[in-house]
Amino acid sequence: MKNFTLYISMFLMLGSCLDTAKESNEINLYSQRHYKVDEMQYAAFEKQTGIKVNVVKANADELIERLKNEGENSPADLFITVDAGKLQKASDLNLLQKISSPIINQNVDSALKDVNGYWIPITYRARIIVYSKDRVNADDLSTYANLTSEEWKNKVLVRSSSNAYNQALLSSIVANKGVDAASKWATNLVKNFARDPKGSDRDQVKAIAAGQGDLAIVNSYYIGLLLSSEKEEELKAGNSVGVFFPNQGENESGSHINVSGIGLTKNAPNKDNAIKLMEFLTSESAQNTYVNTSYEYPANPSVEPNEIVKKWGSFKKDNLDLNQLGVYRSKAIEIFDKSGWK
Amino acid sequence: MEIIKKIVQIEHKRWVLGSVLVALVLILPIIFLFSNIFEIEQSAFVYLWKTLLLDYSLNTLYLILITSFFALLFGIFPAWYVSNYSFKFRTFFDIALFLPLAIPTYIMAFTYSDILSFTGPLQSFLRNNLPELSDIFNNDYLQIEILGLILGLALYPYVYTASRVSFSLIGSTYINMSKNLGLSSTKLFFKVIIPLSKPAIFSGLFLVIMEVLNEYGAVKYFGVNTYTTGIFRAWFSMGNENAAIQLACLLIFIVFTILFLEKISYKKSKFYYSTNTKTEKLNIPTSKKYFYIYTLCSIPFIMGFLIPFIYILNNSILNYSNTDFDKLLDLSLNSISVSTISTILIIIIALLFLYVEKISKLKINTFISQVTTLGYVIPGAVIGLAVILLFTKIPMLKSFSLIGSFYVLIYAYVFRFLAVGKSPIKSSLEKQPESYDETAKTLGLGPFKILQKIHFPINRLALITAFIVTFVDLLKELPITLILRPFNFDTLATQTYEYAIEEMLIESSSYSLAIILIGSMMLILLKYIINKQINAS
Repeated sequence: MKNFTLYISMFLMLGSCLDTAKESNEINLYSQRHYKVDEMQYAAFEKQTGIKVNVVKANADELIERLKNEGENSPADLFITVDAGKLQKASDLNLLQKISSPIINQNVDSALKDVNGYWIPITYRARIIVYSKDRVNADDLSTYANLTSEEWKNKVLVRSSSNAYNQALLSSIVANKGVDAASKWATNLVKNFARDPKGSDRDQVKAIAAGQGDLAIVNSYYIGLLLSSEKEEELKAGNSVGVFFPNQGENESGSHINVSGIGLTKNAPNKDNAIKLMEFLTSESAQNTYVNTSYEYPANPSVEPNEIVKKWGSFKKDNLDLNQLGVYRSKAIEIFDKSGWK
Repeated sequence: MEIIKKIVQIEHKRWVLGSVLVALVLILPIIFLFSNIFEIEQSAFVYLWKTLLLDYSLNTLYLILITSFFALLFGIFPAWYVSNYSFKFRTFFDIALFLPLAIPTYIMAFTYSDILSFTGPLQSFLRNNLPELSDIFNNDYLQIEILGLILGLALYPYVYTASRVSFSLIGSTYINMSKNLGLSSTKLFFKVIIPLSKPAIFSGLFLVIMEVLNEYGAVKYFGVNTYTTGIFRAWFSMGNENAAIQLACLLIFIVFTILFLEKISYKKSKFYYSTNTKTEKLNIPTSKKYFYIYTLCSIPFIMGFLIPFIYILNNSILNYSNTDFDKLLDLSLNSISVSTISTILIIIIALLFLYVEKISKLKINTFISQVTTLGYVIPGAVIGLAVILLFTKIPMLKSFSLIGSFYVLIYAYVFRFLAVGKSPIKSSLEKQPESYDETAKTLGLGPFKILQKIHFPINRLALITAFIVTFVDLLKELPITLILRPFNFDTLATQTYEYAIEEMLIESSSYSLAIILIGSMMLILLKYIINKQINAS
């Protein structure tokens, strides 16, 4: 028995050694973003302010569950995602508080901001159409809806419906055109699929290069990443496709966009530091770091996109309230399931 | 009164009570899940059933069948050859065939799909050098059959390990007897060895099946919707926690039934390994046999380990100048320390349950022993969430705010991986004749002494095996770590995954290489010890 107690206390001591030391001047993030650029930003922030940045990285839905269940005891100050729908979900669950900072207001494009003030954007991305330069004439492309026309039978590539970017796209169509139109679009698009949905966005581009399909729906920055790849073959694949922004016509909604954004948690224990970090991340220098490392579009309008991205030209954005992407999520999933979009 | 009388009559009360307590603490997440099942969400369940579930379940079944086929093929035959024949490189293969265990399934899947992709080395090479052949290889490789093959390659060592131990422990008596009866070596294998080793092979295969059920990253990437995908779809995409819990409970129920049926079927045909555990002298194969041996032993090794290893090694050499070595060392230490602590706990607890089951012979202990392995059938992310619910919904636990501490992380690990550590110890304990315990008892040894003096040394091999398999599994663990980890805590697995899902395979390579190297070193070291033991006995 004596031994047993000894082992237990040894175990407890080990556990506390492993626990990270608590500091007072810190900030705690629950983040879905896990790119190298994020580490760079936090390191720069620490250096500038002396505030230690602690991060837990996981899937957005799991982090929401953790936040929800931790309630008042949650150590998290900020919740960072790559989808406005998840921020809406968090604010809908009463997990966030309003953010007020004149600096942030000045830093970010007001069109991208949450109308209710619960979250702020840091970058945005467009869900675009890419096409085979060899086999498709860009003049034949126009809208997302056009992808369902007969001429694209067996030519359209897209990833699975369990992917948040596709769910957000369909939610935007539900919000803009209603359930019936969205159902029709999904059902007809499935008929034009070149293969069962699978892989990532970049895999769709590779599939075009391989000749398995002619068109794909992908996020803009993936093309930027392919075009800056050090692998010659990936570069070739990236160069074999053209970028097309859909829904640009006069009466059309504009291309679907989504933001990567930050919400301030309801019980943030380090609220002041949290605001400071948001101000930092929307500042010009941090925004420049984002655009040049991850090829996203900046939320700060005074910053230019990366050279590669700029070459595609400017485009009309869908100015839908981005909270709608979260509101219509479950409807969108139901439509996916019924349409047979795997 | 009757009950109290009965309790008083139970032998080894303290052991039984102790194990019941530990088990209760361990299965709290399951109790918690099942206590939620009564808030029936009929509409969601009906919706899921109608639209997806049948399709998802059939996919799962198909994937399990393909994976099991390859796992058995790659596991059993080499195990038999290595156990029974003398051939060049035998010792090498015995170790090498273990190694795919060091590669996480999702790394295997991402690596192979990169190798086979249009921009990967195979197709690029053919396009640039042999254009006439390149069309044949220009296929869509993201198919369920290919995924099954990849998972089979990653998981067959579970079958190999289990059957290898069993084959080498089948006493020479059985083999000699069969030979005297005129059985050919093929007949001997199929009529005697395989039936005798069924429980061991099944225990290995069981782990394979559980891994497939738990697999999430690779199946998602391949666009294969499995039952687990359904659970996540209900929970996250549809925001219906209760429907997800019900699906998880149904899965637990099905697996429990399989385990129960297996138990019944083997009860009928229970046999003990001969006390003469001396291995049969190795046979010299015929020249035709040599061909089979080398083919069947090298394919699993080359495809399951060598190719992905070389590819990852090459990537990390390419990325050498961008590698952050301080971080790499940090994450390696994180992975090793958290895996070691958890593994030791798992082995202690597994041994406790199995031993009490053996000495008490009470139904309750058999039941405990079965229930506590259920953690392995529940997808890791569901365990993570169940644990969060448990520690935040129960007021007494809530006040400690333990979520995000190492205690909770390790608790979840133990719950999830107990089955892995238990499996080798179980099959080894089952092989020992009851007479050992009885003799020791008549000599006046208490249960702890029997454990210490008899079972510990006899089962040392199994304990070592259990340690390797569990440690390596924890090294690769992903979903639980992601959801339950403390601030700023990364492991090699989480870092690898974060890069890999962004398709930054080059950047992920040094971290995955570290997992593979640490895992391989453990496997090689411990395999070496095991072989020494086998040869010494």
